[in-house]
Amino acid sequence: MKQMTKLMLTTVLSASVMTGASFAAGTHPTTGEPLADDQTFTYRVLDEHSSVDPQVVEDVSGSEIVRDLFEGLMNQDENGELVPGVATGYDVSEDKLTYTFHLRPEAVWSNGDPVVAGDFVFAWRRAADPALASPYQWFIELMSLENASEIVAGDMAPEELGVTAVDDHTLEVKLTAPLPYFPYMTTHATTFPSPQKVIEEFGEEWTRPENIVSNGAYILTEHLPNERSVRERNEMYWDNENTIIDKVVALVINDENVALTRYLAGELDRTEVPAGQYPRLHEEYPDEAISFPRLCNYYYTFNLSDSGPEAFKDVNVRKALALAVDRKIIVENILAGGQPEAYTFTPEAVAGFTPPTVPMAEMTQADRDAMATELLAEAGYGSDNPLSFSLVYNTSEAHEKIAVALSQMWKQKLGAEVELANMEWKVFLEERGNQNFELARGAWCGDYNEASTFLDLLDSQSGYNDGKYSNEEYDSLLEAAKTAEDTTPLYTSAEQILAEEMPVIPIYHYAGVYMMDSDVGNWPVNNVEQNWYSKNLYKIAE
Amino acid sequence: MFAYIIRRVMVAVPTLLLLIVASFFLMHLAPGGPFTSERPLPPAVLANIEARYGLDQPLLVQLWDYMTNIILHFDFGPSFKFKDRDVNDIIAQGFPISLTYGSLSFLVATIAGISLGIAAAIKHNSWIDYTAVSLGIAAQALPNFIMGPILILTFTLWLGLLPGGGWNGGQWQYLIMPVIALATSYIGNITRITRSSMLEVMNSNFIRTARAKGLPQRTVIWRHAMKPTLLPVISYLGPVFVYVLTGSVFVDLYFSTGGLGQSYVNSALTRDYAVLLGVTILYGALTIFVNLLTDLAYAWFDPKIRY
Repeated sequence: MKQMTKLMLTTVLSASVMTGASFAAGTHPTTGEPLADDQTFTYRVLDEHSSVDPQVVEDVSGSEIVRDLFEGLMNQDENGELVPGVATGYDVSEDKLTYTFHLRPEAVWSNGDPVVAGDFVFAWRRAADPALASPYQWFIELMSLENASEIVAGDMAPEELGVTAVDDHTLEVKLTAPLPYFPYMTTHATTFPSPQKVIEEFGEEWTRPENIVSNGAYILTEHLPNERSVRERNEMYWDNENTIIDKVVALVINDENVALTRYLAGELDRTEVPAGQYPRLHEEYPDEAISFPRLCNYYYTFNLSDSGPEAFKDVNVRKALALAVDRKIIVENILAGGQPEAYTFTPEAVAGFTPPTVPMAEMTQADRDAMATELLAEAGYGSDNPLSFSLVYNTSEAHEKIAVALSQMWKQKLGAEVELANMEWKVFLEERGNQNFELARGAWCGDYNEASTFLDLLDSQSGYNDGKYSNEEYDSLLEAAKTAEDTTPLYTSAEQILAEEMPVIPIYHYAGVYMMDSDVGNWPVNNVEQNWYSKNLYKIAE
Repeated sequence: MFAYIIRRVMVAVPTLLLLIVASFFLMHLAPGGPFTSERPLPPAVLANIEARYGLDQPLLVQLWDYMTNIILHFDFGPSFKFKDRDVNDIIAQGFPISLTYGSLSFLVATIAGISLGIAAAIKHNSWIDYTAVSLGIAAQALPNFIMGPILILTFTLWLGLLPGGGWNGGQWQYLIMPVIALATSYIGNITRITRSSMLEVMNSNFIRTARAKGLPQRTVIWRHAMKPTLLPVISYLGPVFVYVLTGSVFVDLYFSTGGLGQSYVNSALTRDYAVLLGVTILYGALTIFVNLLTDLAYAWFDPKIRY
């Protein structure tokens, strides 16, 4: 028996009903706001993006462009919920191992060719193919597609991948595990279709503006590396009549203060707020300085491997250090951008995740400090035998401020001697990855909106588990969560284990802190992954 | 003269080779590689990527392949970070931009510096002298990373006259601030060198002779004093030209010009080996070439020098 997943058909219908003459009159079809004549959205990016090839792109700024240029099976709306993309919907089999996506027949590429199921098959095989050697090959494995791991390892041909075109408008996907969040993964750039003909004609240069063919709401029209990239309305896009923004310009500005100055001079519609400047900007520009939760955490990880210090093997020492961190000072005085204090590893903003009550979160800071002193004394450290260790972080002003503040807290409250060391990013990763550290900074942004994207990091088998934390019960909880109907009790137990064993010190969870021109309409502040689509934005007339 | 040039070029080739080999090994000595990331790649994926770029080969083999590709095909290899571009593309795109900023800054610094220096020397110990010297010292105390923020705050934020950065096809409004930021600190040095050189020349015997012949001041200065005055300036200008090109790194980053400086810094940070080496070789070759030009210019300016 197949179960039809009801997918926002209504959204599509209502959207098409509302289109029509309204743009000409210069008002927004649903909100009625007056629209600006110049529908150009200009925003700042920190660095040049790595690629706009959907199967190759690995960075956030590149993915933002790819989401505009290409359209996958499903899209996300302003709240991060699934809405139809190239697929109008999908069926899923009883055992949740087979998905059948139905593609809309009106979808075409920017050169007029129809978008067919074969384009997805080509793209997914391409992503898994060792010949392309995509840095996001692992994503195809993560999706649990049939034979993905074997193909990535080079033991099977890409043609064996569990994805087939039943006909031009039906795509069938076979999984090896019933991933509850699989449909959400089709909003990720790696799964977007790519134009086989164009790639075969131009090779790696197919993504240049003069060669590229894409199926999204925009086409790439200009690209000067390290300076700007411009995308403009794709007249061939199936839902073009509902697109309001005509042109999107991404300017590369390395220095965040220059970016802020250029924003204030009116050159940009959006930029990041430098750490600590939010309160001032919010007071001066209350409509423009915005802060909202993000899917990222910031923590310090103990080296629990053999090369780590003996002191950290004692859970009381780890707990004492975690308790003595006054997170309020960090988020209110140093970051000052509305970041939430962290007592769990997984951010509260994650969909379907309710942070469990951990004892530390309930206490006052004075109680925490008292308990910290007590636990450290129990572990045998005190004024006559002070705890001493080193803390490494990657070179950055904000990380330094936090490290200095924390080392001061530990010194004042616990008498601990902390040696601070900063390292250039790649050196830092190498040292941390080889367990050449005692306490190290860490941060993680979710790949998808589900708690496992964070909790998996501390799985004993995880390649990202630099502190080498290992707990069998924790591992088995995560294993069970992969196929469980209701994951909440499992994730709660996992977080409770972390709170009890404290292999990492959660410090804060990220906030998106932007200056956003009040002319920009419909910015998805509620989409915690910040997967935004220019086609859903608009500029309001001043 | 011709034999001299040949000799210099013959020295230049091994110098460049040495530069390439040394940079190559230093670069690989730095911890981390182009594919080290916060999200460590699964071993199978990493192996695929390294195999694709030949990074699984021994270093000496990699060096050999790299050199033969340059010599036989003038191909400086692929970028590890930017999949749709190779090093030749990156240089072809960024270098003209850096060269534009560099040359303009060089011209501005040279013309302003020499004019101020000469004015100061001719009107020695007058208010013109004092003003020129003060301006020169002030300029010297304003390196580009101080000038950048001052200019942007003044002309972009407060006055709203100039765009705060970018290239935009090289329109003049976009060129002004980076060029000034880059040129300022050199103006000071050029002023100082020109002034003291001119003062020395004006006190030398052949100038006294020229004056004794009854030549007017103008002729004395332009016909007789100018060339010897500029000799020490020229020897300073050679390196300055290289500095403004390579020193455009800050300006490129700060004003987001799209010039080569950004690629240079970022390739070092991301361990994009081929890009880093390519730009290093370019800057190295440029330094050698400009030094040769400087030495040849000596011969023209100083009749005592013959090659």
